Amino acid sequence: MQQSLSGKAKTRPLTPANVTVGRRRWSERGYALLFLGPSLALLAVFIFWPMLKTLYMSFFLTDKFGHITVFNGLGNYRSLLQDASYWASLGATLSYVAVVAVLTIVLGLILAVAAQQQLKGIGFFKTLFSSTMGISVSVAAIFWLFAFNPSVGVFAQLSQALHLPEINWLADPHFALLAIIITTVWMNLGFTFLILFGALQQVPRSLYDAADVAGVAKRTQFLKVTLPMISPTLFFVTTVTLIDAFKSFGLIDLMTAGGPSNATNLLVYRVYQDAFLNGSYAQASTESVVLTLLIAVVTLVQFKLFGKRVTY
Amino acid sequence: MTPIQPVVAHENKRRFKLIGRYTLLVGLGLIVIGPFILGLWTSLLPTAAISKGALWGKLSFDNYVTAITTTPILRYLLNSFVIAMVTTISQLLFCSMSAYAFVFLKFKYQRPLFALFLVTMMLPFEAEVIPNFATVRALGLLNHYAVMIVPFLTTAFGTFMLRQNFLQMPKELKEAADVEGLSHWQFYWRMTLPYAKISLLTLAAYSFLSSWNQYLWPMLTTFSDQFRPVQDGLRQLQGQETFNNWGMIQASAAIVVIPTLIVLLIGQHYFKAGLNEGAVK
Amino acid sequence: MAVKLETRLWWCWLSGLLLIVTLTFGLGTTAYGAGRTKIVFWHEMTGPAQAQLMTDAKAFNASQSKYEVVPEFEGSYNEAVQKILHTHGTSAAPALFQSMDVSTAQLYHANVATPVQKFIDADHYDVSQISSVARAFYSQNGKQISMPFNTSQPVLYYNASLLKRLGIKAPPVNPTYSDITRVAKAITAKSNGKVKGLTVEVYGWLFEQFMANGNTVMANQNNGRSGYPTTVDFTSTATQKAMAWIRENIQAKDFIDFGAGSQAESNEIAAFLAGKLGMFVQSSAYISQLLAGTKDQLGITYYPHADGTKANGVSIGGASLWIANSQPKNVQQGAWQFIKYVMTPQAQAAWQKATGYLALNQKSQHQAILKQLYAKQPVAKVPSEQLAAATANPANSGIFMEGLLQERTLTQTAMATIYNGGNITSALKTAETSMNQYLANNNRANQYTNH
Repeated sequence: MQQSLSGKAKTRPLTPANVTVGRRRWSERGYALLFLGPSLALLAVFIFWPMLKTLYMSFFLTDKFGHITVFNGLGNYRSLLQDASYWASLGATLSYVAVVAVLTIVLGLILAVAAQQQLKGIGFFKTLFSSTMGISVSVAAIFWLFAFNPSVGVFAQLSQALHLPEINWLADPHFALLAIIITTVWMNLGFTFLILFGALQQVPRSLYDAADVAGVAKRTQFLKVTLPMISPTLFFVTTVTLIDAFKSFGLIDLMTAGGPSNATNLLVYRVYQDAFLNGSYAQASTESVVLTLLIAVVTLVQFKLFGKRVTY
Repeated sequence: MTPIQPVVAHENKRRFKLIGRYTLLVGLGLIVIGPFILGLWTSLLPTAAISKGALWGKLSFDNYVTAITTTPILRYLLNSFVIAMVTTISQLLFCSMSAYAFVFLKFKYQRPLFALFLVTMMLPFEAEVIPNFATVRALGLLNHYAVMIVPFLTTAFGTFMLRQNFLQMPKELKEAADVEGLSHWQFYWRMTLPYAKISLLTLAAYSFLSSWNQYLWPMLTTFSDQFRPVQDGLRQLQGQETFNNWGMIQASAAIVVIPTLIVLLIGQHYFKAGLNEGAVK
Repeated sequence: MAVKLETRLWWCWLSGLLLIVTLTFGLGTTAYGAGRTKIVFWHEMTGPAQAQLMTDAKAFNASQSKYEVVPEFEGSYNEAVQKILHTHGTSAAPALFQSMDVSTAQLYHANVATPVQKFIDADHYDVSQISSVARAFYSQNGKQISMPFNTSQPVLYYNASLLKRLGIKAPPVNPTYSDITRVAKAITAKSNGKVKGLTVEVYGWLFEQFMANGNTVMANQNNGRSGYPTTVDFTSTATQKAMAWIRENIQAKDFIDFGAGSQAESNEIAAFLAGKLGMFVQSSAYISQLLAGTKDQLGITYYPHADGTKANGVSIGGASLWIANSQPKNVQQGAWQFIKYVMTPQAQAAWQKATGYLALNQKSQHQAILKQLYAKQPVAKVPSEQLAAATANPANSGIFMEGLLQERTLTQTAMATIYNGGNITSALKTAETSMNQYLANNNRANQYTNH
């Protein structure tokens, strides 16, 4: 092994100084290969190559096996942009992502602040608040499918008891996305709470003491002391929530299958539907490219906008 | 000292405030675990009662018995456990190794390679399933544990997180190790890994949960109950139940969620500490 | 020193890798019952049909010692088709698979199966005992491609006891749209809105049946029987009338919308069984589940048709059994043996009783099990009578076209739009335009041309 790694070093003139330096440098390169090689190879096979392949496929038509057949230029992109239902999906995705992010952060922050109180038994509540972290997508879907069920669900029974208009949550295009949003936010809460709670705890007490002495109101303290201090964490949580929301798939598959009227046919579900239900691989690849660009843009914009303003 | 009257008034006010605070906490707690309690509760009710819209009835574990005896739910759990364990171990190994390379080694193209890793974090796996499916098909991995493990042996996120942690190691440690003549491998194994214990635990929990929660990829690549992980298993159960056997479905969901909740309750402390470390820096 | 350390590092690394590889690959391998040829059978049956299929597989395995049929549930029909195409030729592929009616053209063109005609000929199997209408659906150029299996007809179910209690006259056995509207309105009115009159699932199959029953061809080239279709017609009078009928009921507030997908079907059945829904159109395959699920008397009629026209009859739905051509000869032979087993008069009779799918072996009708069923539940006969009442023509013999999944997605989107108040013509037109574009693309991508 050593032989092959340092093979090239042999062609150098063998002065005493060169041997030690050369040895160390080459073995460092060998180490780098060893330490980094596996990860690099795996990422190349399962991330980089597929990305390029997806991009390539988006310029062709594919047959029912997904094999590339006819060059289509920008045809796939053109038909995608002309497809009103794709724009609807895009719009639904963007509103879903935005609402999920805002609600997750706000509710997570409320929980985190509530759990800051120095009270007996607060540990129990902390555990409660973080409990949704252990709930996976299929379990969440099953719980909420039951809650939203139009004939036996809790919401239906509640609105019946209170003589409110009955909402058919998952079958009504005006409410289906909201139902998915509620479920997503609920699932996100545990993780978000845990992180924000930790960040709040790290804000030095002395800052609040000083603010108290200066007679600053609690609400102002929250805005002027707390928020700036936890802004790096807020930034992290927002990014994670946004990106996760873009990738939402499981809940949609289990709860609405993209319906009704495509109201919950978000981008990833659409890729799945076009490729693995309809067999239109080229179109799905085109949609994948757009999805990737979108996520990249959102991430970059976020870094640019907030990355600098974050207080460290 | 203050006179007695104001103290009582103060006490009363304090008590009201206290009650208010607890009410708020209980209210928030109920919102968070409401759906969960509802699910657990209905899992104990007979399906006949549930489908009539009743939330009351004879409580029993019948649904659990039905779920365990008539569905492969335990097999699904085992499958998920195997997949998540192997994925976690390999991610710890490969991510810590690549993170070490970025921090303690010097080599050509180090910066561009690191940038490449960062870019990876922006590329959603979900958008690449089509070529990846072709790859695993060509490798002959379909319908096997391997298909759910091999593409996830390493992650850029794990590398990034551990790199941030390794960067914090005191410079003196490395200098001392060099003086001692420790090789990179020895330094990695004896010093770096123990130093980053908390971060590694966090990554382990994170990897385990992400693997456990995999949904789309196993759904595309597994075709038999022998290998199907639990998320897709539940989807199968739900898809097969045309009779709306709510009690049994809720019981299966409960069977799935209880182990993860236990793991979380135990690991919560480490998880929190580690994630914050990753988040803030 | 350096050599030694690096060797050690490599060694550690390699053994770690080896460990992962062993864990990954080793754990999944299990030994199967020795001596028997394993026949992996992919199916998409749920509920009682799945249970009956399991019974059949067990009985078949017990009846001989050469083969072992291993059924695997593969989710929805739609998913299964792509899985079949994806895994063809790999070790994960099945030997025998069930695939939905609308995938027939696609799988036929994909050349993934050995036509069952080959086994029929080699065995001199008497195929005439199997319903000819069902056989025709899965034939091309006079050859049997696959064996019709679970076969159903869309019908209208109503809660007869409920109608009696409310004092409403039951709909006729071959109802028009206005017959059904009358009953639906009465149910909602007389129950003070507690019971919804009607639902029609957002389901492309039902959309197709409105066209079939209105004697309208959906795709050109004779619904694909004489060539590759290039255009579809979603905006016909037949579909407009059907959608207007549903719209009328929605506006009268006697209609409840459960959306699309298996979830919608579960919900509508749950509502029907709980007495919260009076009527719905759905596959006859749900009949046994409905009979078992409620003490109320079940009523069944033919699929409704437009006023002032004669019902043309609806086509069949369901799926057929295919033998994968990538498997070794003995495995294919085992798959064929199992097909023969499930098509016996006894197995088919038990199948109809358990599931509501029609028994396709004509000798099944003389089996005691079905005679008893008809004596106890005369309505159970209605779907077979509906099938017998129709004369086969291009409009009601199924659509031999690729991309029917796309068609269903699109028509379902149109239906959902209409249910939620959208303009009928423009919703149908949108779907039609997308479908025609899809067909053009698909024909180009697969290099299909009509001669």
